Amino acid sequence: MAPDMNKLRDEQPRFCGLESGHRACQGCGEALAARLVMEGAGPDVMVANATGCLEVFTTAWPQSSWQVPWMHSLFENAPAIASGMDAAMKAKGKNTKVLAFGGDGSTYDIGFQALSGMLERHHNILYVCYDNEAYMNTGIQRSSSTPHAAATTTSPAGKESMGKRHLKKDMLSIIAAHHIPFAASASVAYPADLQRKVRYAMGIEGPTFLVVHSPCPLGWKHDSAATIEVARRAVECGLFPLVELERGTVANVMPIRNRRPVVDYLSLQGRFGHLFKAGDPRAEEERDHLQALADYNIETYGLSGQTDDNLDTTGAGIVRRGGGGA
Amino acid sequence: MREALEGSQAVAKAVSLCKPDVVSAYPITPQTHIVENLSKLVADGDLHTEFVSVESEFSAASVVLGAAAAGARAYTASSSQGVLLMAEVLFNAAGMRIPLVMTVANRAVSAPLSIWNDHADSMAVRDSGWIQIHCENNQEAVDSSIQAFRITQETEIPVMVCMDGFILTHTMEVIDIPEQAMVDAWLPAFHFSRSLDPASPKSIGTLVTPEFFTEVRHSHHEAMRKSLSVIQDTDASWEKASGRACGGLLTVEGETDAKIGIIAMGSTVGTLREGHHRHPESGAAKLIKLRTFRPFPAEAIRQAVAGLDHLIVIDRALSPGLGGILGSEVAATLCGVENAPKLHNHVLGLGGRDIPETIYADLLASVEDPDIPAFSIFDNQPNKLAPEDR
Amino acid sequence: MTQLTRGAFALPGTSLDFKTGNWRSTGKPVHVHAAAPCHSACPAGEDQQAWLAYMQQGQAEAAWRELVAANPLPAITGRVCPHPCETACNRSTTDGALAIHNIERWLGDEAIKHNWAYPVAAPADDAPEVAIIGAGPGGLSAAYHCLRNGLKPVIFEASPEAGGLLRSAIPATRLPRDVLDAEVSRLLALEGLTLHSSKRLGRDVYLDQLQKQYAAVILSPGCQAAWDWDVRGAVPGDLHEGLHLLKEFMDHGAFPEAKNVVVHGGGNTAIDICRLLKRSGAMRVTLVTASGLPGPDTDPADLINVVPRELTEALEEGIEIIDHATINRLILRGSQTTGVEIASLRKIRGVDGRKRRVTFEGTERIIEADMVVPCIGEKVDPEGLESLMNGRAYLAPTDDAGHLANAHTYALGDARGDRGTVAGAIGDGLKAVAAIAVDLAAVQSAAQEIRPELPAEKLNPVYFEVSSRTLAPTLPVAERDFETEIEGDIGRTAAMAEAARCMSCGNCLACDNCWTLCPDNAVLKTQAVTADGSHYVFDLDYCKGCGICAAECPSGFIQMAAED
Repeated sequence: MAPDMNKLRDEQPRFCGLESGHRACQGCGEALAARLVMEGAGPDVMVANATGCLEVFTTAWPQSSWQVPWMHSLFENAPAIASGMDAAMKAKGKNTKVLAFGGDGSTYDIGFQALSGMLERHHNILYVCYDNEAYMNTGIQRSSSTPHAAATTTSPAGKESMGKRHLKKDMLSIIAAHHIPFAASASVAYPADLQRKVRYAMGIEGPTFLVVHSPCPLGWKHDSAATIEVARRAVECGLFPLVELERGTVANVMPIRNRRPVVDYLSLQGRFGHLFKAGDPRAEEERDHLQALADYNIETYGLSGQTDDNLDTTGAGIVRRGGGGA
Repeated sequence: MREALEGSQAVAKAVSLCKPDVVSAYPITPQTHIVENLSKLVADGDLHTEFVSVESEFSAASVVLGAAAAGARAYTASSSQGVLLMAEVLFNAAGMRIPLVMTVANRAVSAPLSIWNDHADSMAVRDSGWIQIHCENNQEAVDSSIQAFRITQETEIPVMVCMDGFILTHTMEVIDIPEQAMVDAWLPAFHFSRSLDPASPKSIGTLVTPEFFTEVRHSHHEAMRKSLSVIQDTDASWEKASGRACGGLLTVEGETDAKIGIIAMGSTVGTLREGHHRHPESGAAKLIKLRTFRPFPAEAIRQAVAGLDHLIVIDRALSPGLGGILGSEVAATLCGVENAPKLHNHVLGLGGRDIPETIYADLLASVEDPDIPAFSIFDNQPNKLAPEDR
Repeated sequence: MTQLTRGAFALPGTSLDFKTGNWRSTGKPVHVHAAAPCHSACPAGEDQQAWLAYMQQGQAEAAWRELVAANPLPAITGRVCPHPCETACNRSTTDGALAIHNIERWLGDEAIKHNWAYPVAAPADDAPEVAIIGAGPGGLSAAYHCLRNGLKPVIFEASPEAGGLLRSAIPATRLPRDVLDAEVSRLLALEGLTLHSSKRLGRDVYLDQLQKQYAAVILSPGCQAAWDWDVRGAVPGDLHEGLHLLKEFMDHGAFPEAKNVVVHGGGNTAIDICRLLKRSGAMRVTLVTASGLPGPDTDPADLINVVPRELTEALEEGIEIIDHATINRLILRGSQTTGVEIASLRKIRGVDGRKRRVTFEGTERIIEADMVVPCIGEKVDPEGLESLMNGRAYLAPTDDAGHLANAHTYALGDARGDRGTVAGAIGDGLKAVAAIAVDLAAVQSAAQEIRPELPAEKLNPVYFEVSSRTLAPTLPVAERDFETEIEGDIGRTAAMAEAARCMSCGNCLACDNCWTLCPDNAVLKTQAVTADGSHYVFDLDYCKGCGICAAECPSGFIQMAAED
């Protein structure tokens, strides 16, 4: 007998902060990341959300996917709106935790100043950046988070160009310089790790920052079913290191047990397709450059896992019969 | 209690009396003293508020917007460049119908850079959907600021209280600062029905399609029009409580049978009144102080100018390529009205150029002067320009 | 008509009104309870995934009970089976097939040790009786499944003891006598089972009598008669056929003396013979086989049909194997063998599509031999079965259940001619009795659910801890004798650890991956077990068909299917 879906939905043994019916693309990494973050954060929160995919696909009036108090103001001011919410909570003696959400466009570019101010003023806010590495909502334009050599509509590949010329902005180092209590990078491929970091940040009184690697099937040009695999390979090849910072110093990393060459990651995505053109010497040079960048990350953060650590890239993903992986 | 206070200091005290939960501002001349005074009140324990020193005006407006959305009484202040920088937030807050109060210490907008007074800043955001109230003097600035907190709560429209930078903000006057008990009794506790609350979650700031956008705007426009009476009633109520009125939407004074009227906003009104008293021989004129610029009190203006042959409209801001802003709006208001007065729109005092008290006589004389067109920058000195730029 | 809220705020969770399920265009996720390849490959029909799942939950007895739902002799098969389950195991594509065989043996031994009760009840007094010829693995399995189906088995065994080939032809080094005796006697002790030993078909009992007296007759006589063997008509005077030699050895413990033995044939019996001869003191033992040895280019159809570890152990013990060869000529002095001429040979498919053996001229060579042991297979001894055999070498059942042309008579195991393993005989017992139960109850048999097999590509191995398979301890060559079991036990810890490596192909692990990774919150967990046997449902009102759940399902239980 088919179960009563509405009743079943209400009885799910986890908090649902982001409900079904949102208009995200099939396989959207950002929707998944936001759902996971909300689960870890719980119901006693309020959210300031910047303009972008997440905000647009969740709140087409009169519908909203959010089950918590939520506000969208502008593209560049989520950290400032959140600061105001935090000030209001302090003034009213309330404990509701304030969350600020923004994409990489908002966080790395137009809202960068507001983020820095928010961190400097030590507000009790968890800021989550959903990093899909371009201005996706407006049609896949490059941001300062777009990786080197990735093709976007404003950094296309062609006779005179091999995709984005500049490097991906090192946001974590900038955040580190603010010496906030906790900052970390996470990935949708490692949901238990992501939620652990969310819960940890939620318990900190003060500013915390999380950047979640969120593949975009449309913008990165991969199969909607490959979202998790793409995210996994980004971590396994070293291009997206999973690290934790406390007061600006690296406190923990997820070691990579079995390194992948970057081409394993790049080859899954159409936005790097020009790097595989046979007979194009530029393509090989860029592949080598990206490999060098990955090598640099692995060295800088000490990502090589020497022993079988159950919190490494392989161990963090292991499933157990009956669930309860985290 | 009457004290000699700098205008900024008085406004800071007025705001403090309203017990805002959150204050956030970014310093810009000539608003700085307001914010510094508030900081001192906080530091001395006289004001218990969350004071958020932000890194730009954009963030200041955003902070108070977020705070108000979260159910806090919130306040900010700015001028000139700061008002323009936060323009996006101003539209956003009004569109979401969030109660907020902001002091604009009117200052000219760059370029050229000027720190001195004119109305270019508040005029630039006149379509943002905020209520805009102008103050003739620092007593009004105090009283209108307190009134603003009540108006915004009742209408759920954010309120901008405009006071001329330097001229009011940096001038000492004797001001009657109300007692805390009186303000506590007169100003209700902050309540915002749509505030963000986990017990009753809402999503605010949604995407609205063409199917419904028009109605949202209509609803706001109607709310603005309805606020005309709220503004008047609030001033009346304040007068009952304090013994002082600010002028509601506008006031009319001077010779009842005068055929010339002068309409102006802000401190210029005081200058005109002073000029009238000192030079009664210049002629009779009705002086119309326009207090509320938004919502635009069209009906009240039509009534105020009924019977006049000439109406001089003073603008302290310019719309390049058009002319005067208040002048254009008054002209539109009087369009089609039978026996409407002939309009003489003059811009004065841009970039802080002093408006002397002799201006009253000069303006009256200009009415019959055929060399002075219907619109002019009255205090323009063209010989300061190269011939091709005049 | 929807009415605007002030400032256009929206209420929580109202997006549920927007059913994104109608976005699906390429397919929807479904649960496919596919058959794990181990289950598909097992001749006895065991569901290894199911009993390994119990092991993963630490429930060894429950695992054994699930195992013996099909196969009542795990302590035996866990020692002698060629484990096609391991060959089919999907984990062999990553870090090594599961050591199912070793775990099965451990479970069988545990059951004996703790005397776990078989999941059978005594049949009713008036239950139908089924006659079974042969108390080898086929017959014993049939008897067991009779009890499981509420029937009364009556076994007629020609030898004094039950066991069949298990007792007569498998060396104690592979199947210790005490294990064999323990397992068989536990089975024979079940209430409702009758064994008449030393009763031979054709002499003490007769087929037509049995067919009249019993509700059904099951024939599991095995193949007791050796194929005739000669080399171009010549046969040595001292011909010792392989299986016969092995049985003699098992009974008397001795071989005729020989220094250089050539064994001709392939298969487990041939290897057993080789090893016993070598251990008995023969200087040189050579196996000449037409099949190929394992190698990178070996065609599986050509591979010698021997359990791999048996082959490894044989080579360790110094058996020489000449593959792709045949005995061309006997070198006789009088009737005594002094040597054999061998030549290279291949089985080649001719124009008619049939394979024939082709000997290659010019490859002849002579090897010294003072004994030749043909070991080319056996056929059914027709005594007592003449009416069914009609001169053929094997009984010819018409289907998988073993139906013979005669009503209510079934053939199992080696006697069918198309089987060759203990597990195969055991599986036949289950199938035949299932058919009998259907016949006697006069009900339609349940339509067999054909479950598709789960290929390795549908698994997602990243979610399983990398771990190589456990290795069972093996007695070093120098310590091997005639009695001591060569392959050792892996023990409880290794058995549990090995079971943990099972990837549950085609079966839900309840790992929560789908529930965790759906961006649209369209996978819901249920407390009650759903119709497809899992604890998850897809909310197709919202599922956009992205396919992440299917891609990240570790066991391939979720697959994308076309919309109906």
